[in-house]
Amino acid sequence: MTGRFTRSFLGAAAIALVAGAAPLLAADAAGGPTDADLMNDAASTGDVLTYGMGPQAQRFSTLNQINTDTVSKLVPAFASSLGGEKQRGQESQPLVYDGTIYVTGSYSRLYAFDSRTGEEKWEYNARLPDDIMPCCDVVNRGAAIHGDKIIFATLDARLVALNRHTGKVVWNKQIADYKAGYSATAAPLIVKGMVITGNSGGEFGIVGAVEARDVDTGELIWHRPVIEGNMGTLRGKDNGITGKLNATWQGDLYKTGGGATWLGGTYDPETNLLYFGTGNPAPWNSHLRPGDNLYTASTLAIDPETGVIKWHYQTTPHDGWDFDGVNEFIPFDATINGKPMKLGAKADRNGYFFVLDRTNGKFVSANRFVMQTTWASGYDKNGKPIVIPAGRPGAPSATEKGSTVFSSPSFLGGKNWMPMAYSKDTGLFYIPSNDWGMDIWNEPIAYKKGAAYLGAGFTIKPIAEDHIGALRAMDPRTGKIVWEYKNKAPLWGGVLSTAGNLVFTGTPEGYLKAFDAKTGKELWKFQTGSGVVGSPVTWEQDGEQYVAVMSGWGGAVPLWGGEVAKSFKDINQGGSLWVFKLAK
Amino acid sequence: MDRRAFLSSAAAAALLGYMSGGQAAKAAPLGKVRELGVLRVAVYKDNRPWSWRKDGKLTGIDVDLAQALAKGLGVRADIAELVADESADDDLRNGVWKGGLLGFQPADIMLHVPFDRSFAARNDQVAIIAPYYRESFQFAAVKGEIDVNAPPTQYRGKRLAVEIDSIPDFYLIGTFGGILARDVVHFHGGTEAVTALTDGRADGALASRAQIEAVLHDSGATNIVRRTSPLPAFTSAGWDIGMAVKENSRNLGDAVETILAEMTQSGALKAIFERHGVAYAPAVAAG
Repeated sequence: MTGRFTRSFLGAAAIALVAGAAPLLAADAAGGPTDADLMNDAASTGDVLTYGMGPQAQRFSTLNQINTDTVSKLVPAFASSLGGEKQRGQESQPLVYDGTIYVTGSYSRLYAFDSRTGEEKWEYNARLPDDIMPCCDVVNRGAAIHGDKIIFATLDARLVALNRHTGKVVWNKQIADYKAGYSATAAPLIVKGMVITGNSGGEFGIVGAVEARDVDTGELIWHRPVIEGNMGTLRGKDNGITGKLNATWQGDLYKTGGGATWLGGTYDPETNLLYFGTGNPAPWNSHLRPGDNLYTASTLAIDPETGVIKWHYQTTPHDGWDFDGVNEFIPFDATINGKPMKLGAKADRNGYFFVLDRTNGKFVSANRFVMQTTWASGYDKNGKPIVIPAGRPGAPSATEKGSTVFSSPSFLGGKNWMPMAYSKDTGLFYIPSNDWGMDIWNEPIAYKKGAAYLGAGFTIKPIAEDHIGALRAMDPRTGKIVWEYKNKAPLWGGVLSTAGNLVFTGTPEGYLKAFDAKTGKELWKFQTGSGVVGSPVTWEQDGEQYVAVMSGWGGAVPLWGGEVAKSFKDINQGGSLWVFKLAK
Repeated sequence: MDRRAFLSSAAAAALLGYMSGGQAAKAAPLGKVRELGVLRVAVYKDNRPWSWRKDGKLTGIDVDLAQALAKGLGVRADIAELVADESADDDLRNGVWKGGLLGFQPADIMLHVPFDRSFAARNDQVAIIAPYYRESFQFAAVKGEIDVNAPPTQYRGKRLAVEIDSIPDFYLIGTFGGILARDVVHFHGGTEAVTALTDGRADGALASRAQIEAVLHDSGATNIVRRTSPLPAFTSAGWDIGMAVKENSRNLGDAVETILAEMTQSGALKAIFERHGVAYAPAVAAG
């Protein structure tokens, strides 16, 4: 037990020196991270307490022991296998606290590893029903920690809170009905003693929502649907409908309008706003739902106290290309045209990088961060896309194969789930992006559940000879790409930036790589044995800086074949946590 | 990411096979089925009137058919409910040739599989056999509320129930310049849409013929009339329903086809349909 009570950001030597203070520290660590600790996560270098390394999810660390000069000496400290027969995609981001690395695995598993030795302390395997239908592999993106609890979401749409010392269940709540097509894969966000989650799914018929629950009991506090016309709740009582009924939806389509908030959200303590992205509208065929279809494919700012929407900005009005707007909105400050501003940025599935005034949602700029966008030529100064009508897939007809439309980015997006990073030092965003398009056509003969229906056929294909993936450094003040690193296979992992002038990200080819944050020069790489689609983190322990990342190839990319599959056909599955530090 | 209305291509299907970690359990051909004394049959979960839970008990036309096929082979039926994926192509992968991601074991045979040449061509991991029914869509309405045989534009202002994202949904929302769009009421399934009609929550419903007949039969409703003339510009002429076995299980498929032929001849197949209130309609391909 003693190991657990050692405050992780103090070295062993420091503990010995301040022996008198040890009982107090022990009590502190035993109590676990508080709301204030979580809000301070970006500044506390001895731990990683939140998904995104801070509620703003900038994924920036002030640590600089590992830097452009020393990174060549970065070597593995240990690797820990998730074991078992269950492999597939490992999209998780580790948390580090009190001598323990907490990491989620595929198939809704959670592990606690000793952060010094890599030995497993405990693991939790959610018992999943065999009749769930996850759309995009059996992934999980990470956990949240608060007090004595570690909390994560499971594929059967439950939230599970475990005792962080023992792995025993404290509470386990169903957050949606998996039989109705709901699932959950995102890391929860904890703000002011509330677990804030989005939802994901599923069959047509779902409505995206953001929900807050009591972190101690899992009881629902508020529920906010993101589709206009649906009623929100606060402590069991109606709390006003979202938007205006039938303003941007006709008939009863708003009851099944989609907009799943499947990637979770960020929080900005300065403005006291939650920022959540919403998914694409349903049904898929845009010709049957005229209107903007608010608030799908949008970023929403939500009051954490009440769940009321404070502002919205729609990145893809009347989506017809499957451009989810779920991507993370990262608060940052910068001076635009001589004016210091509180901003936020989002790199969207639709290929554009958005900068908004995060206090009111006002549009500042949108710039292309991928090679090609066939659906729009840009954004006007009011923040509306200049849509190219010929780029919209046609209305389906059951009689013949419709004309083929080439659309770029493909439905997997200019950027998918994988989180970007913002460096406070360089002022740049580092976007894990992909250059690919798709041919899409109406399928005359399609069947669902044994019955005829109207479907669309598609093939995803690369649009460049030499790459699909591209890590791009974007200057949010100018909208210019400062540098790019091209990768043969699609990039599918998160990014980390550090004060060591470094940017880390993984590749499906199995490497964790480090780049010069200013120039993009590749400085270091290590082969982890399977594709890296997780998000790296860094922290300081016993006076040394550590970097950790999950390895394990999977996620949505391998589920879709075509030309793209050639870029990763030789990549094997896995499931390991890799931890690195500098050789002495 | 939301689940897509996309079809996975044959290439994607092949790739999934390639990516599979373990060796998927092999569906047994005829000899193995007889040796084990069990025929594992996949039917759709929650697919009334074909396979659904009535008061917790699995029932329906496909369930009875599965029992009859097992009996014909002299074995016991192990009926497994398969959750429908985004497309029937995916269902064949999950239900027959590979198994599900969460541990669904492949069945020896799957029922309620579209019997269609192009569908079969792109699903070459399975053999699609034994067409046993011809399905089609039909319009039904409350007597006195809607003149069923009138042009659909005259349905305007009435509550029209459909399954969301179905061909009936697209038809009523999208044709005639969209003038019926605001009248369409959406349900999760065709059975729910027809039930809304008998419950007085809708004036008309466009659903599959089997869904309409079964609900009318079960509810005893007598105030519902069905359209007899074809809907103008309606794009689906109907489709055949058959079964699928793994590509290398053709001897099992042959045995099943023999049993089905006997059942057709003896009237046993028709009797199963009638038990559930549905008029048997032979598959066009079987003619």
